[in-house]
Amino acid sequence: MAMHMRRTLVALHRATSSKLKSAEASLDVRHPVPLFLPIRTKRRYFLPPAVKMMGQRKEDMEAKVQRAGIVVKQEYLERPINISCTAGVFDAYIPPEGDARLSTLSKEGLKQRTEQIKQSATSQLAIRKIKEHDSQFVTKDFAEQAQQIFIEAHNALTQFNKEKLHSLVTERCYPEMTRGNRYKTIRWRFVESLEAPRVVQARCPEMISKGNLYSQVTVRMHSKQTLAIYDRFGRLMLGSEEQPKDVLEYLVIERHLTNPYGRWRLHGKIVPSWAPAKDPIIKTVMIPGPVLKPEEEFDALNYEVPKPAAVQWYK
Amino acid sequence: MATALTGRGIAVVRNLSALLQSRLPLLVGGPQQLSCLHTSTPLETKHWERKNLQVYPPQLPDEPRRPAEIHHSRRQIKYSKDKMWYLAKMIQGMSIDQAIAQLEFNDKKGAKIMKEVLLEAQEKAVKNHNVEYKSNLYVAESYSGKGKYLKRIRYHGRGMFGIMDKVYCNYFVKLVEGSPPKKEEKTSFDQAKEYIQSLKNRTIIHSL
Repeated sequence: MAMHMRRTLVALHRATSSKLKSAEASLDVRHPVPLFLPIRTKRRYFLPPAVKMMGQRKEDMEAKVQRAGIVVKQEYLERPINISCTAGVFDAYIPPEGDARLSTLSKEGLKQRTEQIKQSATSQLAIRKIKEHDSQFVTKDFAEQAQQIFIEAHNALTQFNKEKLHSLVTERCYPEMTRGNRYKTIRWRFVESLEAPRVVQARCPEMISKGNLYSQVTVRMHSKQTLAIYDRFGRLMLGSEEQPKDVLEYLVIERHLTNPYGRWRLHGKIVPSWAPAKDPIIKTVMIPGPVLKPEEEFDALNYEVPKPAAVQWYK
Repeated sequence: MATALTGRGIAVVRNLSALLQSRLPLLVGGPQQLSCLHTSTPLETKHWERKNLQVYPPQLPDEPRRPAEIHHSRRQIKYSKDKMWYLAKMIQGMSIDQAIAQLEFNDKKGAKIMKEVLLEAQEKAVKNHNVEYKSNLYVAESYSGKGKYLKRIRYHGRGMFGIMDKVYCNYFVKLVEGSPPKKEEKTSFDQAKEYIQSLKNRTIIHSL
């Protein structure tokens, strides 16, 4: 590149010198013209851009962009609200105590077994409303369908297939399922179903305006599953891959009835207050200790770790 | 590369470059200023922070446990990169508790900033990267780099001036889980022995 610069400079100066030569030839005066003419008025000093901008007026960016002809899309300061799913579980099903603990042959077990949905009037009304909008709804087959949705959703979670997961799981459930899991490896397997899934409750809440119907159906599932979560470095954080566990779950499946493109999607899980404690993670965690006054000392031997209250919650 | 530029050619090139220079700030500055709500996605973050996003496949039970690595940095610190370098190399190889203790009682300005960075990194390790014990970390890599400088004029006598750089630096640290690796201490006798051995190992080529 330096070679070409020199050539161009030479050419430039030859051009200028030739012009000069021609001018002087006309005046009939011969002077020896130097080959390289230094340009006297060339700017030699350097001004940092901050100082250079000091004297100039500030240009309006928007006007500049407009003059350049670049069209920028109008940006709205909005917060999007999602109306394809509700924000929570309405009128949550309270599972009876000791569910799935008693055998079917005992008296109490039989009582539980014969608790049909026909006892609850609101559920029946809700199912009738669902059948108005969706003519192919059958309560018996729906439970199997719900279990299939559950299995597919969890398989999509292990592969982290975002599109498929969004189609199987509502927008309220999605962040709950995927929070913190982006850089973790999850291995989940559905071994078998111990009892046939059953529909235990149905509700049809209306949101905002009358006639905007959603339906939430609670399905009870008793199954064997294996779960193993590995962190970013491939180390086991929770569970084990070989040891399956018996899991009793109450799933809430939701659908936007008035929407013709609405689909049955997993909306959440109900965790009863009498549920057994989950397995601890393979890690020691520090929990905040009690607030002490200046004169007190922390008595590690007699200190009891506070346990959270047993309350039903929706996950 | 053997193209010859004539006098006219240079004028064209000069005009083009002037046009490009006037166009680029329009393209870069305009949309950026108008879209001020865009939050940074992992696509925009720099190389050092992106190293935290690497996921390893699950380990088999017979493999040795992989130590956790946490990359952390702070950008555009108002300090010189050469002065920061001394502190960065001082803590390289130390355990995190020792490093924090040393920086706490160091009088330099960069020491206070570096200590904050180390504490941030330790917290991130425990919260986000599944590190069990916060003291079980050591500083594997630590170095400083140049940030983006601001330029100002420094006025001298007789109308002369100099361009003053307002200096900024970036500081990078990598914490690894485990105890710090032990430095092999070679005695002078060992070094002498090795030297003599290397002299003895020489072969004379083309000899009889």
